[in-house]
Amino acid sequence: MDEFEQELRQAFARQPAPPSLKNRILRNRRSRAPQSHAHLWQRLAAVLVLTLLLSGGFAWHQRERQRKGEAARQQVLLALRITNHALNHMNQQLAAHGRANQK
Amino acid sequence: MAHDWKPDFEQLVDEHQSMVFSLALRMTGDRGLAEEIAQDVFLELDRHLDKIESAAHACFWLRRVAISRSADALRRRKVRGLDLWVEIKEHHGLQPEPRISSLGGRLEDLLATLPEPQRAALLLRYQEDLTPEEIAATLDAPVATVKSHLQRGLKLLRAKAAVHLKEYVREKEYARGV
Repeated sequence: MDEFEQELRQAFARQPAPPSLKNRILRNRRSRAPQSHAHLWQRLAAVLVLTLLLSGGFAWHQRERQRKGEAARQQVLLALRITNHALNHMNQQLAAHGRANQK
Repeated sequence: MAHDWKPDFEQLVDEHQSMVFSLALRMTGDRGLAEEIAQDVFLELDRHLDKIESAAHACFWLRRVAISRSADALRRRKVRGLDLWVEIKEHHGLQPEPRISSLGGRLEDLLATLPEPQRAALLLRYQEDLTPEEIAATLDAPVATVKSHLQRGLKLLRAKAAVHLKEYVREKEYARGV
């Protein structure tokens, strides 16, 4: 280590911290401790509410999809029943018409 | 991992406040900012106290976080676009503090003009008396990079000292009988 480096070592010796620094750190630490617990509970509550909202929304969405699907199925069944009825009616008419022609 | 060491936060503050404050002060050049950084570093230590395994680990952790927080603070200042020294003088109206050693004080001022990685490496070398390997571990950088920062930083600081500290050179020359 040369002379300049020795000078640097002397120049860069640690400086004493301000006398009030330790008290401020300890005061902040004390004031933070209960706050951090309060923040933790607030965060947990927020997460819980958000989870409930999301799962509720998802359940409602699923139920709505099922309801719409069931309604569409009923409509299709009704349409099939009407078609079936119309075809039966037509079939009966054709059969009656055929019998009349044979006579 | 279980460890037997029981940290005493207040004792850690007592032992290391000077080190953390000096690192922050010399990295930022701003006394107020250095106090804020030192506070933040110790409060963060308090949050991570359960992960600290020994007194040496605490010291290593504090050095590392002090340098890192100081670098963050400098970057934030750069983003804000304010020149550090102009801001200190204009907003805080600070007068230069009386130096214990005027040469030491001027060397500190010159150190503040070096690029940030070189400044950090030189501080850890000459303030904390760490080896390049220890500095590399603290800064999480390759040893070769640290050695390069040390060499370049020292060269630059020497050149700046030769230009700006004429009386220093004259004193040395006089002492050598040149």
